Amino acid sequence: MLTREPNLEIDDLSRSPGQLGRRISLFYVLAIVIFVILIGRLWYLQVMNNELFIERAEQNRTRVLSIQARRGTIFDRNGEILATSQPSYNIVISRKDVRDIDDIADMLTVNLTIDREWLKRRFENAKFEPKYESIVVKEMASPSDVAWVEAHRYEYPMIRFEEAPRRSYPLGMVAAHVIGYVGEVSRSELNDTKSPFSKENGFKLGDIVGKAGIERTYNEILSGQDGERTVIVDSVGRIQREISVKPPVPGRDLYATIDMRIQRMAEAQTTSMPADRGVIIVSDPRNGEILALVSHPAFDPNLFSVRAKTNEGREEIRDLYEDPDKPLYNRAIQGSYPPGSTWKLLTSVAALNENVITPDDSRVQDGGIQLGNYFMNSLSNLGMPDVVTAIALSADGYYYRLGIKLGVDRFEKWVKLFKFGEKTGIDLPRESSGLPPTRSVKENITRNVLKRRKLDQGGVWSEKDDELVRRESHWTDYDMAASSFGQGTNASTPIQLLRYVAGLSIGGQMHTPHLLKRAAGGTDRFGRLQNETYYIDKGTYVVPMSPEIQEIVRRGMWQAVNGSGTAAAAAIPGFDVCGKTGTAQVASNDKAGAKNKDHAWFMSFAPRDNPELAMVILTENAGFGGKQSAPRARPIYEEYYRRTRGLPPLVSEGDLTKENTPGDSISGEGEKRPATGLPSRR
Amino acid sequence: MFAVNRRYIKDFDWKLLTVAVMIASFGLLEISSAEPVSGLWKRQLVGIIIGLVAILVTTTIDYRIIANHYGLILYWIGVFLLGLVLTPLGKKVNGNQNWLDLGPVGFQPSEFAKLFTIVYLASYLSRFRIPQVDLRSMKSWPAKLILEEIVVRWIFPWVKIILIWALPTGLVYLENDTGSALSYISFLGGMFLLLAINWRWIVAGLVTILIVTALVFPLRVIPYLKSCSGYKCERIRAVYWPELAGKRFRYQNDQAEIAVGSGGIYGKGLRGSTQGTLGFVPEVHNDFIYAVASEEWGFVGASLVLFGYLFIILRLIWIASDASERLGSFLVTGFAVLLLYHVTVNVGMVLRLLPIMGIPLPLMSHGSTSVIATFFGLGLAINVRLRRFVN
Repeated sequence: MLTREPNLEIDDLSRSPGQLGRRISLFYVLAIVIFVILIGRLWYLQVMNNELFIERAEQNRTRVLSIQARRGTIFDRNGEILATSQPSYNIVISRKDVRDIDDIADMLTVNLTIDREWLKRRFENAKFEPKYESIVVKEMASPSDVAWVEAHRYEYPMIRFEEAPRRSYPLGMVAAHVIGYVGEVSRSELNDTKSPFSKENGFKLGDIVGKAGIERTYNEILSGQDGERTVIVDSVGRIQREISVKPPVPGRDLYATIDMRIQRMAEAQTTSMPADRGVIIVSDPRNGEILALVSHPAFDPNLFSVRAKTNEGREEIRDLYEDPDKPLYNRAIQGSYPPGSTWKLLTSVAALNENVITPDDSRVQDGGIQLGNYFMNSLSNLGMPDVVTAIALSADGYYYRLGIKLGVDRFEKWVKLFKFGEKTGIDLPRESSGLPPTRSVKENITRNVLKRRKLDQGGVWSEKDDELVRRESHWTDYDMAASSFGQGTNASTPIQLLRYVAGLSIGGQMHTPHLLKRAAGGTDRFGRLQNETYYIDKGTYVVPMSPEIQEIVRRGMWQAVNGSGTAAAAAIPGFDVCGKTGTAQVASNDKAGAKNKDHAWFMSFAPRDNPELAMVILTENAGFGGKQSAPRARPIYEEYYRRTRGLPPLVSEGDLTKENTPGDSISGEGEKRPATGLPSRR
Repeated sequence: MFAVNRRYIKDFDWKLLTVAVMIASFGLLEISSAEPVSGLWKRQLVGIIIGLVAILVTTTIDYRIIANHYGLILYWIGVFLLGLVLTPLGKKVNGNQNWLDLGPVGFQPSEFAKLFTIVYLASYLSRFRIPQVDLRSMKSWPAKLILEEIVVRWIFPWVKIILIWALPTGLVYLENDTGSALSYISFLGGMFLLLAINWRWIVAGLVTILIVTALVFPLRVIPYLKSCSGYKCERIRAVYWPELAGKRFRYQNDQAEIAVGSGGIYGKGLRGSTQGTLGFVPEVHNDFIYAVASEEWGFVGASLVLFGYLFIILRLIWIASDASERLGSFLVTGFAVLLLYHVTVNVGMVLRLLPIMGIPLPLMSHGSTSVIATFFGLGLAINVRLRRFVN
């Protein structure tokens, strides 16, 4: 093997056992040192840090899965279901066993009727979900789906079903803005400490919370305590077995003040609005309970809870957001509109209280007025009417002069007493406060307009410009005249006007409009017991007015409906409806067209003595209040009147039109009357 | 050939074999406890039985005959198989191309190639004498002759050793099996130490290595290791600078550490492993079998296993020191160092002391090739022990 044997053997010591022994003893030392190190390390890991690693091993293998609690049911005041949670099942699949979706896609597509493309996308998206989570392949599985999964447990152990209550709204679009809808809490809300659904408040990603309406305001009442399932998982998150289960506790039931009978009548009235936009709110003036609230157009809340996960559903939601009529926007509390002539009652009450006019001597000149070099036209010219007639016939010229006589200081005082420009405090999210007709509002608006104009031209805002603003926004007689009949800078929400008319109807007692009647006792989110809860009105206040003044307001409003006033279309024999119409200019006359037609208002209450209902109707861009809004009030009152007084209900639409036509209305009688009954179309 | 006589039985190292079989049986138990695919332990049992038969067969043949007559052939068989792995017949397992796919049976040639290299190196080194060049006596020689003398007598024998060693090492390295390549260094170093190199050389070498390491490590090596890319660097970082390592690479170390640590003093009992059976520890029946053993049997069981290995290694060193001549010493020392290397690296990686390097735990890890090769090595040691008296 070797070519040449080395022949020099000077250092051949290997045969000497002593030498070899010494060399080899080096290996004994090396081996022992290494094993001492290894055993030392074992001691360190297993004995010294045992507890730490036991804990980490537990964290490794156990998972706490949350079981969604059923939300409380929302009822109307009579116990009709507005929102409920239905047991529903999700079909889920544990990810690890499905290396390639193609393997089982066909099987799932056929047996569980799942869209194949959707399933593929779902698996793509799931790549970014936390590791242990299983993939939901079908939500709201049908009983037959669940049965199929159950039957194929051994064949496909990776497919299972999980309970997940689904919110459902049996009435669809009816009362949608009152009820609202639910959805998964958003990331931004979780991170915002000021939001009601922040992490600090115990919310986590994936929690279902109210997004709008009662669902949102009373989320704390409706939410139950989620249950927990502790399971053992393997390294890829497959559930091996269950260790313990803490069942979820359902949320508390909630009774809203809404009366579905009135709500349905109101809904029916909104469907025939010419621009397909408008508001009807009905309340009980004695306590502020809202009996009906419609903001038209509306949306179907089921879209968010049921269909949001499908592509069609997502598209429908996108359509809702892009709809120029903004169906998701609650016009009743978020929309600000010029109130038009409905405001004349405030001016009347203010003038009477400030003794500008008295109950006995309230005659003021009506008709157009020359203000400097501007002539302000009036549609009416009744000579020297008294205040009752001025209200009943909505005499514009009367209020131009009355406002100027009253003066801006006293006028503003009464705007503030009525709390215009402030939120009513209704228990719905995102209420807007509107803009009251005051000098500071005018100044702010003027400043904003000038500032924007100047900055757009590249200028710099200076002291001098502030001076200009003060000059420009000087409160003129024209401002006063316009403000006194609800034009000018005035923008109020329908709910503010409802509180106003309700308060006027009972002598100035202003209740906070609200939707919560009572919440049943039960357990809250944190498992604490809660007693039955009732609404407590903390925002109630009084606008001072003497019985004489109240009587004048009532008479004016009664005559508007039952005399020969503007609102005759709302009259119901026997029920003494009192009302005030308003026709609010949206744009200056030269811009007027179909799109910018006036907003038609009608605010009312009934009956005249001891009122039971107060109502505000806004028909957007429709025209005269007396023509477009007052007639819509009548079927609503009528239904209530007949029901509560034990009269036979109206049989059909035809009868209604024939029997109840008010004789001497100044509103055009030729027009079609709004249909009654359930909304059959949007 | 099969000379069963009383002396064979009396001189046979039963203690060594008993401890080895105990460890192998314990490994079998743990494989059956943790196996991700049922029935793996049966294949391991077959491996153990073949290994035992191999011991009986090889011990009947004098190790000197094996090494000196068949050493070269065995060596070339090992090299040939290693080369074969690099052809399309080879199979990649866990990033290392070190498997031969022979239809139903997989075969890991590197395990045998190591042993065969040791056998041949031992045979060569046992006849190797450190060449001494006496320059004084060559004074009168022509320069050409002096040069030839130096090259032929002094340099060439060393080069040959290096070549014998470097051929299989290079092939293993090409197979991307760094752990095995390093094992060649370990046993070469061990066998060199036995060569009667002057003590002063050894000490000088060690001191030099220490100084260079002390200087270069903090300045160059550590910053490099902290920033370099590639899975080898990641695996090193996962042990020494876990915060710098990728999560994916840390995972195996973390899980093995949790398995061992959660075992405590007495362990979770047979089949009580959660880290192993639920799949958190990777390669649980294979490279990480010691993690599961530690989890199930705790500090008591885990250190007992280590004592078993220590016993075997110390006994091998003793056999080497007690051998009747150089060949036996080289052979057994080479194998002892190889075994020590395997146990150190495997247990070290499970205990998060060393980076993960695809080195199985001899006797315990699942893999018939490894078990048979280990028994074959033990058989050689027993063989040397049997023939420690010069006939």
